Amino acid sequence: MCHRSVGLVQSELEAAGMSTVSVCLRPDISLAMKVPRAIYLRFPLGNPMGEPGRADQQSRILEDLFDLLETADEPQVVELPYRWRRWL
Amino acid sequence: MTDVRRLDPAELGAKYEQWIELISKNHHASNPRVVERQQFTPLRRPLSESRVALVGSAGVHLVDQPPFHVETVAGDPTYRLLPDDLDMSTLRFTHTHYDTASAQKDPNVVFPLDRLHEAVAAGRIGSASRVHIGMMGFNPDPTPIAEETAPAVAAVLETEDVDVVVLVPG
Repeated sequence: MCHRSVGLVQSELEAAGMSTVSVCLRPDISLAMKVPRAIYLRFPLGNPMGEPGRADQQSRILEDLFDLLETADEPQVVELPYRWRRWL
Repeated sequence: MTDVRRLDPAELGAKYEQWIELISKNHHASNPRVVERQQFTPLRRPLSESRVALVGSAGVHLVDQPPFHVETVAGDPTYRLLPDDLDMSTLRFTHTHYDTASAQKDPNVVFPLDRLHEAVAAGRIGSASRVHIGMMGFNPDPTPIAEETAPAVAAVLETEDVDVVVLVPG
């Protein structure tokens, strides 16, 4: 339901003229919510930016979010190749 | 740049329908509301000149702010204003529908504010918003989120001249 709440807020922010991107652990819900941009990570709920204490991983994911903002020219949800506990 | 795979909505429709069926059984107040109209706003200036805000829906709030109501069936559509200069050790995570253990060890796992500040320092983004937003995503009926919370959050961030918003669920 988090994804649905995020999707509703995300759409409203876009409608107000801001560009948005979200992290997504349940792509079926994000797609149903027609999010403008999201990255899908196969991580457990509660770990959207990866593992605790892994600043390098968090920075990498934030950079991937920024990349999607710069490259997407239409709405899209993309899957990143990282896997839990062996993300690179 | 990382290799990414673009998802086809057709792959995932059945899973979503199963989830809607599940929540309608488990939560009497549930409502299968979706976003009706696709929105897409291109960047209005380069990221290196953009002001960026975080929206965390993992039940993020400050220790001296009221926690979210997590015991009610209706959820809690309220939001908290989180100042950019907050002390990360004062963040709390009130949410009963995900395991908060990782967030408690390292708040950046659900609210990556330290990483955002590093991106400002590196010149990757222009600045961080003076205010970020904490929410609690468990809302079986999302109508108050859609009709009250979302417009209120948009108004706050517009006032702060935010260009870009990064949203992180629980």
